[in-house]
Amino acid sequence: MADTLPHVAGAPVGVGTPVTRKEDDRLLRGDGRFTDDVRPADALHMAVGRCPFPHARIAHLDTSAAERLDGVRHILVGADVVAATSVISPLRPTPGTPDLPYYALAPEVCVYEGHAFVSVAATSRHIAEDAIDLVEVEWEPLPHVTDTLAALAPEATVLHPAQLDSNLLSTNPMGPGADAELAAADVIVEDVFRVNRVTGLPMEPRAVVAEWRPGARRLTVHCATQVPHLVRMQLAETLHLDEGEVRVIASDVGGGYGLKLGAYPEDVLACLHSMRLVRPVKWAEDRQEHFRATTHARESVHRFRIAATQTGRILAITDTYAADLGGQYSSFGPAQLSSYTYPGPYRVTAGHVERQVVVTNKTPIGAYRGYGQPEVNFARERLMDRLAREVGIDPLEVRLMNLLTPEELPFTNLSGAIYDSGDYPRCLRMAADAVDYSGHRVRGTVRPDGRRTGIGFSSFIERTGYPSAKFLADRRSRYGTHESLTLRANRTGGIDLFTGVSTMGQGSETTIAQVCAQVHGVDFARITVHAGDTGASPLNTGGFSSRTMIAAAGAVRIAASELRAKTLRIAAYRLAVDPEDLTIDGQVVRLRDDPACAISLAEVHEAAIFGRGIPDEEDPGLEATAHYEPPAAAFAFGSAAAVVTVDPETGDFDVDRFVFVHDSGTVVNPLIVEGQVRGALAQGFGAALGEELRYDRDTGQLVSGSMLDYFAPTAADLPEWELLHTEVASPVTPFGVRGVGETGTIPPAAAIANAICDALSDMNLDITSLPITPESVWRAIAAASAGEGMS
Amino acid sequence: MIETVPILVTVNGTRHVLDVEPRMHAADLLRGMLGLTGTHVGCEQGVCGMCTILLDGTAVKGCLLLAPQLDGCEVETVEGLATGEELAPLQRAFKEAHALQCGFCTPGFLMAATALERSGRRLTREEIREELSGVLCRCTGYEGIVRAVERRLTGG
Amino acid sequence: MKPAPFEYVKAVSVADAVALLTEHRGDARLLAGGQSLVPMLNMRLLRPSVVIDVNGLADALGEIALQGDAVAVGALVRYAEIERSSLVAERVPLLRHVVAYIGDRQVRNRGTVGGAVAHADPTGEIALVTLALGAIMRAEGPDGVRDIHAEAFFLGPYTTALAPDEMLTHVIFPPAAPAFRFFERGRKHNDFAVLSLAVVGRPEPDGTWRDIRIALGGVHDRPVLAAAAARALEGRRWDDALVRDAALLALEDCDPPDDFRASAEYRRHLVPVHVRRMLSALAGGHE
Repeated sequence: MADTLPHVAGAPVGVGTPVTRKEDDRLLRGDGRFTDDVRPADALHMAVGRCPFPHARIAHLDTSAAERLDGVRHILVGADVVAATSVISPLRPTPGTPDLPYYALAPEVCVYEGHAFVSVAATSRHIAEDAIDLVEVEWEPLPHVTDTLAALAPEATVLHPAQLDSNLLSTNPMGPGADAELAAADVIVEDVFRVNRVTGLPMEPRAVVAEWRPGARRLTVHCATQVPHLVRMQLAETLHLDEGEVRVIASDVGGGYGLKLGAYPEDVLACLHSMRLVRPVKWAEDRQEHFRATTHARESVHRFRIAATQTGRILAITDTYAADLGGQYSSFGPAQLSSYTYPGPYRVTAGHVERQVVVTNKTPIGAYRGYGQPEVNFARERLMDRLAREVGIDPLEVRLMNLLTPEELPFTNLSGAIYDSGDYPRCLRMAADAVDYSGHRVRGTVRPDGRRTGIGFSSFIERTGYPSAKFLADRRSRYGTHESLTLRANRTGGIDLFTGVSTMGQGSETTIAQVCAQVHGVDFARITVHAGDTGASPLNTGGFSSRTMIAAAGAVRIAASELRAKTLRIAAYRLAVDPEDLTIDGQVVRLRDDPACAISLAEVHEAAIFGRGIPDEEDPGLEATAHYEPPAAAFAFGSAAAVVTVDPETGDFDVDRFVFVHDSGTVVNPLIVEGQVRGALAQGFGAALGEELRYDRDTGQLVSGSMLDYFAPTAADLPEWELLHTEVASPVTPFGVRGVGETGTIPPAAAIANAICDALSDMNLDITSLPITPESVWRAIAAASAGEGMS
Repeated sequence: MIETVPILVTVNGTRHVLDVEPRMHAADLLRGMLGLTGTHVGCEQGVCGMCTILLDGTAVKGCLLLAPQLDGCEVETVEGLATGEELAPLQRAFKEAHALQCGFCTPGFLMAATALERSGRRLTREEIREELSGVLCRCTGYEGIVRAVERRLTGG
Repeated sequence: MKPAPFEYVKAVSVADAVALLTEHRGDARLLAGGQSLVPMLNMRLLRPSVVIDVNGLADALGEIALQGDAVAVGALVRYAEIERSSLVAERVPLLRHVVAYIGDRQVRNRGTVGGAVAHADPTGEIALVTLALGAIMRAEGPDGVRDIHAEAFFLGPYTTALAPDEMLTHVIFPPAAPAFRFFERGRKHNDFAVLSLAVVGRPEPDGTWRDIRIALGGVHDRPVLAAAAARALEGRRWDDALVRDAALLALEDCDPPDDFRASAEYRRHLVPVHVRRMLSALAGGHE
């Protein structure tokens, strides 16, 4: 894939074409329109005051000095918000939980560092921040708890005593159970795995520009969001407006990765200020705020267990895990897919999983690329290596023995997820061959310079797209799963495509247009995509959960077919031929067998739009809106192999090679698929090897909450990855596509950890927490040596 | 009232006489006073590189430069790279190598790479990665960016 | 993340800058490259009432010049100019080598040697080199010019011997022992060092080593010399046992901090390991 050449201008574009992106020209010229680039005349600027403590009561609050500052126009405190709004409703509530009071400003008690308690609208951001400095607050610090497991201890301070009698928000057990298998097992490997708290860190922080026109009763909200239609629903509810009075626009979004899902408190605050002042109000999150006010992710503690026979055959898998919620809801809450994918790509018929959602004094957790799947993959794939060691069989063989074969698919896993199709063992073999695993076994791990080399594997599946609206409704979700899209012919011979999927880097303007061009026949270049505006697009769900290509491909296929059929009927009428004999070829409709007999699309479109020169039985206009609900999820899959060199004296290690073999079904655009895979791998590496939002246990302060202290990888921190892929079409999706945006986040941590443990296999060390750093490896070596000494 | 400082600054070849607040940084000046919103703001700590611009031909971080410091200087931003409809060769290389996804970091990389391109240095991939390490990207994994710059630096 | 208000003044001479510092004693900040100062302004961690821009003083402070057999680097010399200077490459090769480890391209284009030294970050590479090479800091104040030895200059984290009304004007590198090795380890590329170290020495024809200096960064509240280790090696022929023992002595001169980048315990483990490795590399003529 590394040598994929871009598409040559002029050649037809359809599914599978590596065409360069529609989005690129404006972005390359600095002409993108990100939310902070929207600059209405007379806009005011908002700044937000945030609690400096992990848990504190607002004993006294005085905004009078701030109000007197020249340039300050309006100040909101918690009581104002409670009076004017309803709570913000989460999009994906945790099933079986009481409602926590989720207001845009804390009325009385702040439950995490960064929890907003006051906001100011002023003539500049500088002055708004000056005013925040002038707000006088008397804080009454309360006992706090930041450690996920400590929050469950009986003596822990209960964060929401009015709603809960402990910090356990909910437990969600699932699965058939495994008592008999556990009792019968020859071998049980188990451990506690700690997954680090990280964040997606989009380069564009969040932003919102709200403008209220009272006469028109119209609230226009530019918002950096992945889900404009859902934000519209939430804002209307919270602000007590009709949905028709709210228009949300997300044109260019500078990266989302799951963080920009749903309305945030600041979106509500900007609207409130604007509605009061009747002026546009802008808030652009700064990076210090971002690390505290935008959702964190992943933090969880998994007690994972694999039971097997002495021959290495898996009998059962169980996982009981504590998922950190932080101090308050976010729109999505902690990841849920650990519970659906914990058995991974293996033949497992017994087991159970239990998710415990825990409240702590930290920034709320939300969705993030991978959504529970990287977490559980780390635990399971580490234990697969432990199992191999216990039964004395090579880790590659243990995996191959247990991987589901193509003949066994479709397969319903312990949680009811249906793996649709694919060749899982082939991907693993490809990875092993690429790194010359058999040669490594012969050569051994010791290098002449005293360092060690090891190879580790990690196999995975990923749920992409949606199973069904019913599934979500059962889980109290507030939105459907269908995708809608409108195509409208224009008089210059092109097609306007309206979608509610905002453009955030995933290339959806390009790939949706590719499908449209393929089905309809119009030139790819003549499709103009209008994305992310609720005032223009039909209702849809938005871009997340690796769903866009699957859902939008379905909708655009239907709409493009419908538009094509009518176009052919009108053209046939005007050419006095049979529509069956016509085809659309770029800019013309022509006879299949005689290109000379043709009519331009512009002429057909104009006739349809004017309603002149069309068959009597045709309605005027040329437009199609289609709705599509994916019938099932498609499971992406693959395996990774890492080759690592370790310095046993210091714990330093280098990932020398990383081979990633994956299948995302039919590839719509190879350039974009490769880009998605590499981007996800970069985030997978970051979370595995460096990134960590750490809270000081004693003070409850976030100690790594700045760009200086959060170790997101630079271009010089990442190895050269080797990508291989298979292309098994999914039987359950349009064109056989599978989602591709998230897979790369899943296997890196386990593959690298397994490689380090392989390199030092004589030391029998173990890695059970993330991130994996030189110091953590050094500590693992020390722990293993100490264990050796004792035995 | 906050005292302002008069400055004369040339941006993409156009001279501007402005009165600026000392505490405004260069990226905010370009965006807020001149409407050149292609220069983005990502951290205001000098780490992420979104605001990278050329100051008298040298790549610098706009968030670490006070607006009054622009007095008498020539500034180049991403808006100045293309010639009319025609993208600059570096911009075309980015497009062809799929070196951008959300595009938020792209102006920063383009400006850093423009300075590199003009230096006439021929660099290894590893050196390119080092030279570009002052701009963060969260979408691409950097490979497309490195490929695009590599092609330009080797005359591709 | 916008600064609190301040007044901006451009200094027209070193004397002018010193006069301004004196006038606003303790409440003014010098702005050179701005790579450390401006982030702190943006975060409101510093709220000076006056910022004195000295970037106009390049004529006086922007030169790299030979002074006798020493190399005087003006406080306004930017890292990128160090990278390009043939004089530095020839006369102060350790400085040239280490500059590549500082920040990123944009930071090196803008950041200054004087700014780095005056900022006194405990992990700062330039500060480490001044110690390793026994550099002299030249400062100008209301009472005139004075020279401060690097060993007396760094007093603690972000704290130096400069008085509030003094301005650093030059860093002077006297001739130093010719052989050196440098090592740095951070949590990621461009990040602050978890540990950095420079070893410098002169191999004598008889196989002994003289003028040994071992400077450590990131493992104390300021950059420090591992004096005890250097003494143990001075004037002797080195073998593995001596090098190992001397490397352990490096712990006598530092008290590593405990922070989220690395624990004190891990830093204490790393110090003798990497001192040993760098000494061995120096003696063996390899990395």
